Amino acid sequence: MVRVRLLQLGALAAVLALWALVTTLGAVSSTALPGPVSVAGAFGDLVGTGVFWQAVGDTLRGAVTGLAVAVAVGIPVGLVTGVYAAAEESSRLLTEILRSFPVIALLPVFLLVLGSTPGMKATVVFIACVFPVLLQAQYGARSVPPAVHDTVRTYRIPRLLRFRRVILPGAVPSVMTGLRLAATTSVLVAIGVEVLTTLPGIGHMIMESQAAGASDRAYAYILTAGAIGYSITLLAQFAERRLLRWRPPTHPGEA
Amino acid sequence: MHRPPWNRPPLNRPLSNRPLSNRMLLNRMLRQLWLPVLVFVILLLATAGSTSFYFPPLTTVLDTLWSELAHGGLLDDLFFSLRNIALGLALATVVGVGAGLVIGEVRTLRLATAPLLDFARATPTVGFVPVIILTLGIGSGPKVFLIFLGSLWPILLNTVSGVRSIGPAVHETARGYRIPWRLRLRRVILPGALPQVFAGIRVALSIAVVLMVVSEIYGSPVGLGNFILQSGSSFHVAETWAGTLLIGVLGYVLSVLLLLVEHRLLGWHHQRAPRTPRARPTPPAPPEKSNGAVV
Repeated sequence: MVRVRLLQLGALAAVLALWALVTTLGAVSSTALPGPVSVAGAFGDLVGTGVFWQAVGDTLRGAVTGLAVAVAVGIPVGLVTGVYAAAEESSRLLTEILRSFPVIALLPVFLLVLGSTPGMKATVVFIACVFPVLLQAQYGARSVPPAVHDTVRTYRIPRLLRFRRVILPGAVPSVMTGLRLAATTSVLVAIGVEVLTTLPGIGHMIMESQAAGASDRAYAYILTAGAIGYSITLLAQFAERRLLRWRPPTHPGEA
Repeated sequence: MHRPPWNRPPLNRPLSNRPLSNRMLLNRMLRQLWLPVLVFVILLLATAGSTSFYFPPLTTVLDTLWSELAHGGLLDDLFFSLRNIALGLALATVVGVGAGLVIGEVRTLRLATAPLLDFARATPTVGFVPVIILTLGIGSGPKVFLIFLGSLWPILLNTVSGVRSIGPAVHETARGYRIPWRLRLRRVILPGALPQVFAGIRVALSIAVVLMVVSEIYGSPVGLGNFILQSGSSFHVAETWAGTLLIGVLGYVLSVLLLLVEHRLLGWHHQRAPRTPRARPTPPAPPEKSNGAVV
């Protein structure tokens, strides 16, 4: 374990060194890629300011609101369509089409209809997140083994009880995967919306910094966004492991 | 009608190889089509006499789309956007699969780079749009670069996990017989990783479409993104809806095309499923194995 950590630190150091080398040699203009030292400096300056935390808060608020609605809608719909073959078949084409629709393309339309409001940001996040949640819930509900289904049917277990005690627990692992995907997506989409509109948040700060000629500040914000996404992934993995201790891991490679 | 789940055709996979009778095919189509058709008809009727400024009648939108494609410059925009996506994605596939194979095979490298790669994937490429466009200009190059940058990570990470998913026994055997590495790569590792590689490309495709739109909205004289931005900001609502619709159709058609290619190339992989008949019905692979990020 220690050896692995050392290796990882070494790789990080190598990347940073390469980054520093490229910028000091002047292979790329410093406006396109400022050196690691100046980015770190800019980051240090930012962390103490209220503007920075305000931006982080704005981004997270939009992401969490959209995500919460997506979960509230996506899981029930996914479970129901997963259990009833007819519902799944009827909705398949529609979900396929809507899923592959690039949400960001809706932005100009949303700007026209809803205007540049935090609600619009949450709406776009919702649309982006609802499909991973829905499809994973659907997949989870369908992964309940047939033997279990047969047993439940034979014992004539009431529908509601079946949902709560059989299908839901059976679907939880897959639902968790959907949540993890959706959580990272939510932050990414929130930032994407902010880059393109005047809504406050990290994305807007990246744009503003770059327009003001402060590339190092822009990169500091970009890396902050990466850190948020990365921590969400780690948190979700941790929660998944804690919540699902009762079952062996399905994707051993993912741990 | 109500078939138990284990008799159902799995999602996202061809049914079996046995030819379907025409009636079965028709039935299946009807079952899958009624809802989309219903939604379309409802939309058509609901907006039919619409005088609302923001929601023009669907027929007007479709008319606009047709006339813009036939006479306007929309076709040029479409080609510009498609070319950028194709170039960026192709580049990301070559680099991502190449690097992924190496990282997947070399254990030390894999362990060392894991957190870095996860971090890179979690970093929103959209954030780079202002940085790249403002410094490198509004031409086609920066857009291809952005699409490449966004598509690289899912392909790379999926390739790594695809290489890892090859059974250790297979690895040992190939090694044990001292099969030359070139042959091993071509006959063992690459085919073994291919299903996952395709899953990565699928994720990358949706990212590529989004980045195409964003980079064109942010700064471009041509392209679909520019089209919807221009019409949106000058309040040509029908044009905006038409452009949005076109991008949606494009996203869908591209993903269907990719699936077709996948089924052609991976026929052997999908055919393998029925070999374990009833003992343990293998559910289909989850829709998106790796980060299904949209951006």
